[in-house]
Amino acid sequence: MNLMLALIVFSPLLGILVLSLMPKMQESSIKLVGILATLPALVLSLAVFSQYKNGTELFAYNLKWDWIHFGMSEGVFEIPFELGVDGFSLIMVVLTSILSVLAAIASLHIKKEWKGYFMLFLLLEVGMLGVFVAENLILFFLFFEITLIPMFFLIGKWGFHEKEKAAYSFLIYNGLGSAVLLIVIMVLFARTGTSNIDVLQQLLTADAGHARITDNVKMGLLLALLVAFGVKLPIFPLHTWMLRVHVQAPPSIVMLHSGILLKIGAYGLIRFGMGIFPEQFTSIAWLLATLGVVNLLYGAFLALIQKDFKMVLAYSSISHMGIVLIGVGALNEAGIQGAIFQVVSHGLISALLFFLVGIFYERFHTSEITKLGGMAKGMPITAGFLLAGAMASLGLPGMSGFVSEFMAFLGLFDAMPVLAAVGCLGIILTAVYLLRAVLGMTFGKAQREFTGVSDISSFEWAPVLVLVALIVLIGVYPSVLSEPLQATLETIMLGLGG
Amino acid sequence: MENAWIIPLFPLLSFLFLLLFGKKLKENSAFVGILLVGISFVYSLIVLFERFSQPTYKAEGTWLSIGDVQLTAGFEVNQLNALMLVIVSLVSLLVHTYSKGYMHDDERFHVFYAYLGLFTFAMLGLVLSPNLLQTYIFWELVGVGSFLLIGFYFYKEDAKKAAKKAFIMTRIGDVGLFIGMILLFWQVGSFEYDEIFAAVETGSISTGMITLTAILIFIGAVGKSGQFPLHTWLPDAMEGPTPVSALIHAATMVAAGVYLVAALFPLFTASETALMTVAVIGAITAIFAASIGLVQTDIKRILAYSTVSQLGYMMLALGSAGYVAGVFHLMTHAFFKALLFLAAGSVIHAVHTQNIEEMGGLWKKLRVTGPLFLVGTLAISGVPLFSGFFSKDEILISAWVHGNIALFWLAVIAAFFTAFYMFRLFFLVFTGEARKEIRNVHESPSVMTLPMVVLGVLAVVAGYVNTPWFGTFLGDWLVEGNEALGHGHVEGPAWIMIVATLVSLAGIFLAYLMYGKKSLSRDWLSSRAPVTYSVLYNKYFIDEFYELTIVNITKFFSLFLKYIEVFIVEGIIKLVVEVVQTFGKTGSRVHNGQVQMYGTVAFVGLAVLFVIFAVTGGYFG
Repeated sequence: MNLMLALIVFSPLLGILVLSLMPKMQESSIKLVGILATLPALVLSLAVFSQYKNGTELFAYNLKWDWIHFGMSEGVFEIPFELGVDGFSLIMVVLTSILSVLAAIASLHIKKEWKGYFMLFLLLEVGMLGVFVAENLILFFLFFEITLIPMFFLIGKWGFHEKEKAAYSFLIYNGLGSAVLLIVIMVLFARTGTSNIDVLQQLLTADAGHARITDNVKMGLLLALLVAFGVKLPIFPLHTWMLRVHVQAPPSIVMLHSGILLKIGAYGLIRFGMGIFPEQFTSIAWLLATLGVVNLLYGAFLALIQKDFKMVLAYSSISHMGIVLIGVGALNEAGIQGAIFQVVSHGLISALLFFLVGIFYERFHTSEITKLGGMAKGMPITAGFLLAGAMASLGLPGMSGFVSEFMAFLGLFDAMPVLAAVGCLGIILTAVYLLRAVLGMTFGKAQREFTGVSDISSFEWAPVLVLVALIVLIGVYPSVLSEPLQATLETIMLGLGG
Repeated sequence: MENAWIIPLFPLLSFLFLLLFGKKLKENSAFVGILLVGISFVYSLIVLFERFSQPTYKAEGTWLSIGDVQLTAGFEVNQLNALMLVIVSLVSLLVHTYSKGYMHDDERFHVFYAYLGLFTFAMLGLVLSPNLLQTYIFWELVGVGSFLLIGFYFYKEDAKKAAKKAFIMTRIGDVGLFIGMILLFWQVGSFEYDEIFAAVETGSISTGMITLTAILIFIGAVGKSGQFPLHTWLPDAMEGPTPVSALIHAATMVAAGVYLVAALFPLFTASETALMTVAVIGAITAIFAASIGLVQTDIKRILAYSTVSQLGYMMLALGSAGYVAGVFHLMTHAFFKALLFLAAGSVIHAVHTQNIEEMGGLWKKLRVTGPLFLVGTLAISGVPLFSGFFSKDEILISAWVHGNIALFWLAVIAAFFTAFYMFRLFFLVFTGEARKEIRNVHESPSVMTLPMVVLGVLAVVAGYVNTPWFGTFLGDWLVEGNEALGHGHVEGPAWIMIVATLVSLAGIFLAYLMYGKKSLSRDWLSSRAPVTYSVLYNKYFIDEFYELTIVNITKFFSLFLKYIEVFIVEGIIKLVVEVVQTFGKTGSRVHNGQVQMYGTVAFVGLAVLFVIFAVTGGYFG
């Protein structure tokens, strides 16, 4: 039995344990422990990743313990504790562990109650890692819920002016979303007696599966999944909660929120929606692609008129998640690969941009575009990285955003060329709103005194350099992602019957 | 030739090195940049000479696989690529050298050189690309290099606006290229130029599709090459430092659109509609921009409109199936226009103004810049024996022979305009008296004049590689082994050359009368036809038109969506919140501590479950 995945998921708990024994006021050592506690998961997940690249089969990491049993002899319901990864989820685990370390570094800007903050932060990491390694739906749901509670407190306690409102609207939306998800899981479980994802896939796609659940119910379940994950992604019009979170939560938490938590929506749609209900998924692909184009354009148009840079980034996230939907809706290899690339790429890019927000917010206590004008004069390096982040976000070739955007559109042009052509308007709009915002902050006449303001400093270098390096690496050498994904993609395509 | 891929890497190295260590090197950064680009230039020359004797070389490897499809990256050295390598690296080298003097004392000197390196890398990468996807990748990177350099003086509002405008306007074109490229991919199954041409030749793509993709790709070229109606960014791009204008907005990047059409020439020739579109847009741009150039007063903007107009000529040539004429003019224009911009930079360097109304009498003071500027002016005006004369002649012949008679005459009128506005510029700047007191005028240092001398020589002699008198070496070589590109030299009626010469001389003579001898009033146009003058002076109000329509519609639509967001979407949320709250309140009212209440609820719940069980015969479903 390979304990690797369990170690990865639960290693942050060690940090929580240590933190709980520490006195409240030891700021620097609490921060140090908080950062150190995120490292084991990173080291271990990178180890798994490199072993996989060197030819180790992923099922070697599967882990299964008996956990819960109930029911009578002819219908035993089993919920084992089972962990496992495929190419896609492994990449998500690596992404999560990388961003967790970087967000922990960004948390050095946190001003109060560090002990509680880092304990919740680490618990959040457990939840996020668990979501991607859970092999059955119930475990997935459990970890999914674990992410909600720390997030609620992290927003509500350490956020900005309207933090409570943001926290509640986060909880209500995500709570409703997970309630819907729970219904889907329970129906599947009750009908089939299992919640193992792979087993469900086989049961429901095999012909015998029709008897267990009728096609209509399957469609209903898929639509329910779409709502549940649509809240998370978010899909228009279920998106307003995430705007508040983007603006009100501390930037270090938004790095994780925008970088990982939103991606659970995409992960769920691809892994469960596409995996368990391939037939029904195919028949609503047009809907997803359309919603994708709507998301892309709606987010872009609204990002165009925002005054606060955080709002620009929030709408930009909506817009970029549209590309995930576009790729998924294209339903071919190019599209799905593009969607997964976009999940990773946007995770890195939005983490970079929010880290930079953290840097100048720390110095100027504002993220309003007009108040920051001419920043390049006083903080040339920060301004340079902001521009690099914007370029990555608007899909400049040589950076990760281009590869994903290109593949998603490549896929959609094969499936629905007219819709794709409409979507291409988003490519222009993205450039417009990002340049408007970033040039508005960095170029032009200096709006304030920059004397005595330090440019990017010591610890702030590390996350920025790591993120830029990863973004460029994927942009220049995309095989680093596409190779580990190959097998997973083939399985998905097989399920879709293509 | 096997190692030609290394050519773009030297400027990339320069970029990375200066980004990291430039701050310490200060003005020594120039040496790093010059040295590395110099290596690229020497190696480009070697590659060009190797290409004279050897066949096309191509090497590729897998870049990204999507299912069974392998997308490749690599490089190719064919005639066009080899020629472009030399042009780009040469002009870049000269601009690198010149900037050492021009940018002297700028506190971001090293940043400037870093950006120049980035741009040169992207441009060299573009011309080596063997497939459409890779071309697109470098195409965008070139755009970023241009954007950074236009916005180099980032603290100036105008520079910020110009940089943003350049990026967005070209991106509008790029989306055309993006769509065209992808549509072509799904037809051919590959981005490789070779395979695209093969598919076009065997007829496996419908004519309609060829036309559609060719025009979409041409939209990309329209954006990059500042063709009407996406030209407005190019004159504004003059906000960048002048050496940048010489390198990017005259000789190399803006020529990338022309290069793209040339590189995909067999695709365009397969559709008469696409070819015609290229020719018409080219001719319209040529005369339209030239007419604006007639009345402008900013030295760099006149040159910018002149560039737009000359690029129009190149497009007209390509659209008239004149492959050689287009590429030939691309080359000669690169030399004489870079010369003109560098000379203009030298003038600005000396007098610290860009307004030609304020200049005058500089011939005596700028003894090197003056004659070199004259050489460039003669070349662009198409005066016989200078390089522009031969290439422009080829274009006119192509248009005539291809049957684009109306476009031919437009081009002739544009040639008249060109000669006029260029000599208007020359006379106003270099002859007469200064109209505003200008002190301390001195000639630029040799680090600036030397590159100009090199370009001056090329502006004279570059035409002789392809003349009807001494042989059409360039043309024959360019189309060698590829029938799809047409003939090396197109025979045309001899009178065209005479007409072209007369027209240029007439333009020069008129300019002389008005601005040299001053026997004709300078205000002739503005007093006789104030409306026409105002329309020309305000560039046909195109910027204003875009502001009124596209920009405002976009803003309006954004606001409209904002109201939807605030009232409808948020409204739904309020509803949801209400429902949750009501539910919660109802729930808490049930918890009133009375056992009877709990019993009732439990009983009702059980009853509901029984009903569900009875109706469905199971749990759910």
